[in-house]
Amino acid sequence: MTESNQSMTKTSPLQGLLSAFIPGLGQFVAGLRARGFYIFATVFTMGGLSVWTIAQRARFPDYGLSLGIFLRLSVQAAALLLFLLAAQRLLTRFILHDPVAQTFSGYGVGILYVLAVTYLTQSFLSLAAAGVETNQYHATTAVFAAAAMAALWIWQIGDAARVGGLSSQQPKPSIGSLIFIACVIIFILGYNITGINLPKAISEYQDTAILLPRMFWPWRNAFEYTQEFEEATQKIQAPCPAGDEGPPANSPDPDVAWVSATPTCGDLSERPITGGLMLGTELTITGGNFTPGQVVDILWNNPIGNAFRPRGMGPTEITIDLDGGFSTQLNIPDAVISASTAVGAQIHTLVVRQSSEEVFTGRLSQDMILALELMLQTIMIGLMATFFGIILAFPVSFLAARNLMAPVVSPLNRIVGSGIGLIAGVWAGGIITGQIANRLGGLAEAPIQIFLAGIFAVGMLGLLGFQSIGTLFTRLTNSLGAQGTGKVLTSLVLAALAAAPGYLLGIGFSRGIRSIVLGDEVAALQESTYAIAGALLLALVAALYGMLRRSGEGVKIGMAIYTVSRTIMNIVRSIEPLIWAIVASIWVGLGPFAGTMALTVHTIAALGKLYSEAIESIDQGPLEALQATGANRLQTIVYAVVPQILPPFISFTIYRWDINVRLSTIIGLVGGGGIGFVLIQWMRLYQYENVGIAVWLITITVATLDYVSSTIRERFV
Amino acid sequence: MLKVENLTHIYPDGTVALRDVSFEVPDGEFLGIIGLSGSGKSTLLRCINRLLDPTEGKVIWNGVDLTELDQADLRKSRREIGMIFQHFNLVRRSSVMTNVLSGRLGYTAPSWSLINRFSRKDREKAVAVLERMGISNKAYNRADELSGGQQQRVGIARALMQDPKMILADEPVASLDPVLAHSILGALETLNKEDKITVLCSLHFLDLVQRYATRVVGLRDGRLVYSGSKEDVGKLSDQRFKDIYGEEAQRLDTD
Repeated sequence: MTESNQSMTKTSPLQGLLSAFIPGLGQFVAGLRARGFYIFATVFTMGGLSVWTIAQRARFPDYGLSLGIFLRLSVQAAALLLFLLAAQRLLTRFILHDPVAQTFSGYGVGILYVLAVTYLTQSFLSLAAAGVETNQYHATTAVFAAAAMAALWIWQIGDAARVGGLSSQQPKPSIGSLIFIACVIIFILGYNITGINLPKAISEYQDTAILLPRMFWPWRNAFEYTQEFEEATQKIQAPCPAGDEGPPANSPDPDVAWVSATPTCGDLSERPITGGLMLGTELTITGGNFTPGQVVDILWNNPIGNAFRPRGMGPTEITIDLDGGFSTQLNIPDAVISASTAVGAQIHTLVVRQSSEEVFTGRLSQDMILALELMLQTIMIGLMATFFGIILAFPVSFLAARNLMAPVVSPLNRIVGSGIGLIAGVWAGGIITGQIANRLGGLAEAPIQIFLAGIFAVGMLGLLGFQSIGTLFTRLTNSLGAQGTGKVLTSLVLAALAAAPGYLLGIGFSRGIRSIVLGDEVAALQESTYAIAGALLLALVAALYGMLRRSGEGVKIGMAIYTVSRTIMNIVRSIEPLIWAIVASIWVGLGPFAGTMALTVHTIAALGKLYSEAIESIDQGPLEALQATGANRLQTIVYAVVPQILPPFISFTIYRWDINVRLSTIIGLVGGGGIGFVLIQWMRLYQYENVGIAVWLITITVATLDYVSSTIRERFV
Repeated sequence: MLKVENLTHIYPDGTVALRDVSFEVPDGEFLGIIGLSGSGKSTLLRCINRLLDPTEGKVIWNGVDLTELDQADLRKSRREIGMIFQHFNLVRRSSVMTNVLSGRLGYTAPSWSLINRFSRKDREKAVAVLERMGISNKAYNRADELSGGQQQRVGIARALMQDPKMILADEPVASLDPVLAHSILGALETLNKEDKITVLCSLHFLDLVQRYATRVVGLRDGRLVYSGSKEDVGKLSDQRFKDIYGEEAQRLDTD
């Protein structure tokens, strides 16, 4: 829009016409393909946005109606803009000759346009709101998106006409304005979708005034106080049918505190549903032998035994006279039990309670003790999760370090050996486990240790197997030669090895996908076919690989391991610990174990990534030097890698420990144990003092930890 | 006896670093390798002990083709071939002693290495080697506390721990000043003369080559363009020199 005076002389109406129908087409034809495409995409996106928001807004089941509204709105907005632009053109041509005044008239057009579009909202609202719940947010979004789209449409018509005239020199497209418009649209949309409501935030702040002071200074609840009570009671009957006298009134007692009322029989207050209050019988209450000058509470104990302070019935806090007596009036309060269920006369009790001063016992309250215990648990969850996380992340990080894994190329015989060894191991381990379990009374009754032993046997046998079998395999192929027969034999062994996982994959496919599509019974009929097909398929792939690979060339097993472990870590890490805690609490039940498990899982992935990146950034020189001395891989890692990665490892570990304790404070919200567990309960019970205690403890712990961890890190790194 | 036959190395990005290089190094030789940066000197040395796997060709070391060995046998052969580097390649955070002892890893059982343990004999040997290199007083300093010349001596000590029959030196003095350069090359010369260790040393400066090498090969763009005895190098004409170092090269008289 700003460059219009530069090329006013040469315009191409044809291109403008093209763009008037399809936005960006004129620019496209003029050779500015990217510009045309951007314009088209932007107009299209904004149109889509407004249609979408109208659909959201009106929640009309049929889209066509909202599209109609949208078109009508766009046309209105566009017509308005055209009118304003034409007015400005006339104004600048015939009246304003000052460039500054022209610029201001441009701004004026912009402001007028926005105001008018806002005004348009009203008519639009009445159009779309018919009978449907109004939702102003989406409506305004739609209006502004449509208006912006109309503005862009009109602008790009002029733009196409202008660039069409500039055949040779091609100015850079003004992407800036497009980006600006897009930002405005996204902002308006985001503002409405997130439901930001500043007036509400300001007008309703006082709701927090009840909560914040209690949370901010909760320490009264942290300690235990003792208080002694002295009570005097008087029985009162209500309601009072004619003729009843009620329980006898107490007479003054010379030794202990006493209370008496007249009459002792009366009617309850009532609060009709229509509102208002009908006061019950007024009682005159007198008492004596209380401590002079002290304040006593007047309570009402209804027939079910619930004592409460009768509000609005008369004074409930009375200062005792110097002679130890008092006198006051009180209406019989309304019954908690509705009149229809409370049939007949019932005996209530008037209680006058004199409380001693609260005495600080020096002991912590039960809630405080609970909070402290759970805080300890929280810290321990963080610690244990970090501990297990380190132990497991450490080896994993080496597998996920590209610089260490990329050169790991295993000769085929070792891989074949591990394959055969693993299968042999599984087989032998299964047999051993089964045998032992049978001796102990069958598989079902055998203790878990047997199975762990079985897994161990599997691993050991597999590991032992692959070296020797690998060597055997090499000898076999060497004796046959690397070409011809040897190659065929290698391929056959590979195919045999690949058949087992292929078989399992076939079964998995049949049981999984096919039984969902076809139903269990149909799928079961052809399960074996699919299993065999799977086995053959994988075997064929393996055999082809065996035939096609160059002999002597190793398998890049290192990169395979790297990719797999990185992928798994990225997935695990991107799932929040709170979600892991939900999974873990279903698995092992609510409590600190679930929290520890969840945090451990996330820690392994997060630390594993940090560790492996530390490994990737080490100086490769020493690694190379130690390889040159004839050290094996393990030795190079111990002597060249570990000394270099120790400082970042310590730093990352402490950092993670810090994070873990923070996380363990909230992991209880979803059942992971720790202080979050009671925090959420106290919150729901509106016990804000206790919430305050928990928040204070968390704050203190986290701040301390922050300080400690930064100090340690400074010292180590 | 080292025999390099038709060695070619092509990096994964397609750069041909060595083209069909062949030469022989009899035992006890101090072979200088000259050539511009990027002419393939480092690649050549790394192909000999297979830090890089050659794309084609053979490296025959005392009758064994190193390129055919599997990892376990290769490690055994590497023990006999020490290597020192331009940037020393020490573990900077470890002590000098640990760095020197790590030269012994090829002879140590990996399980012992896990708990950082070396035999008494190895420790005594390390002390002796450090003494010989004149840095025994720095044995328990961290490696990065030493000066450049001292660090290179640690590098040589580490190579010596291997009981090498051959030392590959990849521009060992390029990061050092001329005085230190002479002291390091002097140390290598001593090892070459007294211990009869074959030395393959790539160098930048022609006068250092003339002073120390007993035989010289020149590389240019990965090809072997020059091969001559010590005397030949002394008489190297400017034209020949330019063949190796390129047309713009000038003789640089450092001393």
